[in-house]
Amino acid sequence: MNGVSVKKADIAVLPQDNAGSEEKRLGFWLTLPAQCLVLFIAVFPILMQLYISMTDWSPLDGIPWYRAYELWIGFINYTDLASDSRFWAAMWRTFLVMIVCVPIQFLLGLGLAVLFVDEFPGKRWFYSTLLIPMMVVPAVAGYMFFLLFQSGGPVNDLLSLFSASPVKIAWLSDPSLALVAVMAADIWQWTPLMFLILLAGMISVPQDQQMAAVLLGASWGRRFFTIVLPRMKTIIIIALAIRTIEIFKIFDTLYIMTGGGPGVATETISVYIYKVTQQDLIWGYVAAIALAILIVLSVISAIAISKMSKGANAR
Amino acid sequence: MTQIALSNLGKKFGSFTALAQMNLTIGDGEFVALLGPSGCGKSTTMNMIAGMVDPTEGDIRFDDRSILDVPMSRRGVGFVFQNYAIFTHMSVRENLAYGLRAQGVSASERNRRVNAMADLLQLSPMLDRRAAGLSVNILQRLAIGRSAVVEPAIFLLDEPLSNVDAAFRSVMRSELKALQRQFSQTLVYVTHDQLEAMTMADRIAVMDHGKLLQVGTPLEIYNNPQDVFVARFIGSPGMNILEGTIASSDEGKLVDLASTGRSAPLALSDRAASQGLPEKVLFGFRPEQVNPDPNGTMALPVNFVERIGARTILHLGGDGIEAKAVLDNQIAMPSIGDILRFSIDPKMVRLFDPVSGIAIGGDI
Repeated sequence: MNGVSVKKADIAVLPQDNAGSEEKRLGFWLTLPAQCLVLFIAVFPILMQLYISMTDWSPLDGIPWYRAYELWIGFINYTDLASDSRFWAAMWRTFLVMIVCVPIQFLLGLGLAVLFVDEFPGKRWFYSTLLIPMMVVPAVAGYMFFLLFQSGGPVNDLLSLFSASPVKIAWLSDPSLALVAVMAADIWQWTPLMFLILLAGMISVPQDQQMAAVLLGASWGRRFFTIVLPRMKTIIIIALAIRTIEIFKIFDTLYIMTGGGPGVATETISVYIYKVTQQDLIWGYVAAIALAILIVLSVISAIAISKMSKGANAR
Repeated sequence: MTQIALSNLGKKFGSFTALAQMNLTIGDGEFVALLGPSGCGKSTTMNMIAGMVDPTEGDIRFDDRSILDVPMSRRGVGFVFQNYAIFTHMSVRENLAYGLRAQGVSASERNRRVNAMADLLQLSPMLDRRAAGLSVNILQRLAIGRSAVVEPAIFLLDEPLSNVDAAFRSVMRSELKALQRQFSQTLVYVTHDQLEAMTMADRIAVMDHGKLLQVGTPLEIYNNPQDVFVARFIGSPGMNILEGTIASSDEGKLVDLASTGRSAPLALSDRAASQGLPEKVLFGFRPEQVNPDPNGTMALPVNFVERIGARTILHLGGDGIEAKAVLDNQIAMPSIGDILRFSIDPKMVRLFDPVSGIAIGGDI
């Protein structure tokens, strides 16, 4: 044998696998206190909720929360919840807002990102303008849309331009239309965030790969769907997850526009919780609702995270 | 197989001229290297041929057909990027099939051609692996295969070896050259590494500051640089250039190099003789041509001795003069501070005009 060969003596010097695991074990002990603290901060409120949700406790009873076991009722709050039609209606409405708003925001955001990924005159100006809705305080946005959708408001004035007689739609007091107005406000305010995230993702798609695709004869569409979109997969999942979770928590804009009304026509899950807490003060029940939502959101996040790590592996 | 003709090609970015008055014809099946330091306009030239950049002046023709109006996706140019631009979210097979799919080739034909290309490039065992995480030489073969499978008229390679470590580069060089012979396609290769250009190219186009300085075979460029820049740039170390004045002696014209001494009588070509010589010239000679000679007419102090194994590089000079000599280790080596007396074979001397930098009289 000639050339370079590894001698036995050299092999002992090479790093062994168990050296790595020893390092890991040391790292575990060193970070344990911090991990416990983080875990406590994250888990304590959830455990507290779980505890309260098993009782009929209310702050008006005059018992401190940690003695809520005196009012222990077991799973009754949960069985009540399962048959609470107002809860399921609110859940369904929230879901409806989600499946309408998230795709629209995604498609609008993606379209805008496609426009803004290339240079054009006045780009900076348009860019700044587009981001303004995102920076408006939701309460203010709520009042803006409250005014826009009045029966004598600008939206009806605008529609009147296209019809023979003046349009007098009572957007916010019509049970079938109020939710549409609420969705419009959400789309107006949160499309910019979607746009911003997707644009960042689109810019990070390597230029040379796109060029390589075009040089191989790919059309614009082929390049977009086979190179740009697949490479944006992780960021798309992040954007969709953020908006899905945020819409689940939709409250402020909506509450100012309709207060959940007319009747319960725009009562989403957050508005429902707020009403139960403030009006009926049955906190045990509220805790049960909150935990149910937490489970739903955790499932959404878990799906997003698993998709994301798959996407990351593909890279 | 296509001939590429660049005529008066130019590109300006605002007031900055990236390329001016480029005239170059690249023959059918020829391997031409565009060689120059970074910022010399070689990549701009390449990108204009590919269609990624539009020229501001001049014309590009493939086989006498102007292609300036042909969009990038229809030019039939195979382009290998500096970092290969492999689609890492796809498998090796999907990468190879990408161009055929884009051009609407039927599935059976596509499979046949992808498999044939994979066989040729020894990529068959990893066809269904993800392209992410493959080693550099496989990525290079894949990048070439992905372009070659659509049978492009010409191949453009943009510094494909600059990301590879030095030891591996020589392996890749010979592999690349072998591949080019196999495909026998017109190939333009951009590099700043003269070794790559010298070893692989049929012809080299040396560029600097947006200008094409010289086109020729590697040996022509090395032996007869047409320009001071080319003379200094090619060779490692490059050609020595000393300032001198033309003087006369009984045996003919020679160059007076002031404190360095004087050259042997020049062996002027007929053309140089008839052209007449300017009074001041730049006197050029290769470091390898320095011939230690106790009776030599030239002498320079030794500043530094650089031993590089088989040979030794002497750094000579002083008083604003700088020159290098490459000597075999067999001879007695002078040490720092010694005066090296040497002579140069008159046939190996190259003269340049000190104002324009252009070679005087072509071959001497």
